[in-house]
This record gives sequence, C-alpha cells and structure tokens, in this order.
Amino acid sequence: MAEILSSPLCGIALCIFTFKIGLWVNRRLKTPLANPLLIAISLVILLIGLTPLSYEQFSAGGSVISMLLPPATAVLASSIYREIEVLKRNFLPIMAGCLAGSLTSMASAYFLCKWFGLDETLTASMLPKSVTTPIAMELSVAGGGIAAVTVAAVIFTGIIGACLSPILIKLFKIENPVAAGVAIGTASHAIGTSKAIELGEVQGAMSGIAIGVAGLLTVAWSLVLPF
Amino acid sequence: MQFEKDWGKKMKILTQLGIIFAVCLAGNVVSALLPFPFPASVAAMVILFLLLLTGAVKPARLGESSDFLLKNMAILFIPSGVGILEQYAFVREHILKLAAICLITTLLTFVVTAFTVLGVIRLQKRGKAVETDG
Repeated sequence: MAEILSSPLCGIALCIFTFKIGLWVNRRLKTPLANPLLIAISLVILLIGLTPLSYEQFSAGGSVISMLLPPATAVLASSIYREIEVLKRNFLPIMAGCLAGSLTSMASAYFLCKWFGLDETLTASMLPKSVTTPIAMELSVAGGGIAAVTVAAVIFTGIIGACLSPILIKLFKIENPVAAGVAIGTASHAIGTSKAIELGEVQGAMSGIAIGVAGLLTVAWSLVLPF
Repeated sequence: MQFEKDWGKKMKILTQLGIIFAVCLAGNVVSALLPFPFPASVAAMVILFLLLLTGAVKPARLGESSDFLLKNMAILFIPSGVGILEQYAFVREHILKLAAICLITTLLTFVVTAFTVLGVIRLQKRGKAVETDG
C-alpha cells in the first residue's frame, strides 16, 4: 500500500481528479467563490489529513506537475500575441493602466505588511499577489517568500476581484469597457478575467491582455523598487 | 489513411512541445546571464513573444500544446497550494491580516488602474480634438 501511495503516479492522478471535481462543482454553483483550484487544493489537504496518504507521498507526484509551470508561463506569450491587434489599438491606455496598477498593488501590499508588523518572509510572499500565479510564485521565491502563501493570496485576490469588480464598476461609474477590463485583469489576473468575459467581449480581451502586461511590469517593478 | 493523419498530428504536438521546451531552456540561459535576478520562465515568455512578433515562430506552431497548457494551467498550482500544509503553523496567526491586505490592495489596484486608463483615453481624445481643430 505504502508503495502505491508513494508512487508519483498517485499524486499526479490526485491533482487531475480533484481538479475535475473542482471544475464540476464550479459549473454547478456558477460562483467565483467555488474556485476549482481552491476546491482541488482543499480536497487534497483533506485526503492527506484523513487517509494514510502523507504530504511527502503526494509531493512525489506534485513535483512532477509543478515541473510543467515554466512551459505554461512561457505560452502566456501566445495569449498576449493572440490579442496583439487590440493591444496595438489601445497601447497607451493599457500600458499606463497596468504600470500604475501594478505599482499600486506592490506598494500598498508593502506598506500594509509593514503596518501590520509582518516579517520579511510574509511581505515577500504578498508583494506579487495581484499577478498571474506562475509569475507571482517565481517573484515570491526569488524575494525570499513562501510559494504556498503566495498561491493562497493570489487565489483569494482573484476571487475578491471576480466578486467585487461588477460592484466597483457601478460604484465608480466606469462605463468605458477598456478601463473596466484592464482594471480587472491588473487587479485580479485570470480568476477576475473569467468575470470580465461575462461582462463583455472587450472587457474580456482587455482583462486577458492585462494579465500578461501587468505580470511583466510587476517583474520590472520588482527590479526597480527598493522593496 | 486515418493512421497517417493521426501520426501527422502526433508529430505536430511533438514539434510544439519541442519549441516550448527549447524556449524554456533559452529562458534559463538568459536568466543566468542577466546581471540582475529575473525569473527564468518570464524570460522564456518574453523570448517566445519576440519569436512570435518577428514571425520566427508561427502561432499555429504552438497550437494544441499551448492551448492545452493555457486552459489547464490552474491544475499546475495544486501542489504549490497544498504546500500551505507545511506552512500553516507559521501563517495561522497572521491569516486575518493577510486576508485584509488582499482585500485592500485589490480594491486600490482596481480603482487606480481604471482611472489611469480613463485619464489616458481622455488625454488622447483631447489631443486628437486639438489636431483636427488646428
């Protein structure tokens, strides 16, 4: 039994099946709160807690799944390239929005962490949390943060963005679809973008572009900013 | 016939994966050569974007493999997320603060981004109006 559990295949299969369950629940409930990734992570944690499966045994397969992260990050390039015409047409507003937005995200996270008295490890884990997970994770680890905390913060941020952006759009009367889309993508990456797609085609495309552009600009900011 | 068709498709996916992994390897090389810390996978993303822009790689060349990775990307974060188990004792006492930071920064980022975009669009319109007037 232990041999089967510690085989990498076990962790790989678990990732796939828990995610499938997450997708199924998400489709049923139709709310960003039922995030498939969140459901899958919770299910795996439950299984590790309740069954003989240990964290180390799961990680044998988990590390194989994680190995696919760099290629998945690289192909984000093709998702920006697909929208290149939209990007060209609105180049300045998108760049300016993402530049200001990613700076706001990092600076406000930094000052709030300091204000709450959090240590450097947690601060480094929180700084990149508005961008897409693969970029956020790399920046977090490079800055001395904890990847798991960053992943949790990224998912939570995405859910907040998906739930609150329609309310914010009404509250601040942001009728321009370009502004709404770029704001959603910059503040809440792919999870927010799923909401932006529901709001409209322009919003969805803009939000999708903002994921990549804000991700890149956050990397640039992290090189320039003193924290 | 069917066999040949399937075989051709399989070779295509192999080529796609070959390109993607080669670009990742190039990203590692660039990241190691740069004088400042730069994430290797982001370097790979920039390289791939440049290859697409210059036409060196046709978007169709990435086809199914790239779509597969993009569509199923979330699954790749499960192991990292489960890693919170190892960190829970350390994070537990700060969890409310961390949640508050997520909420406040997300609202701020949304509002600043939206109004920056609106401001630039307004400036551009004014610029165009002056152009046509003059």
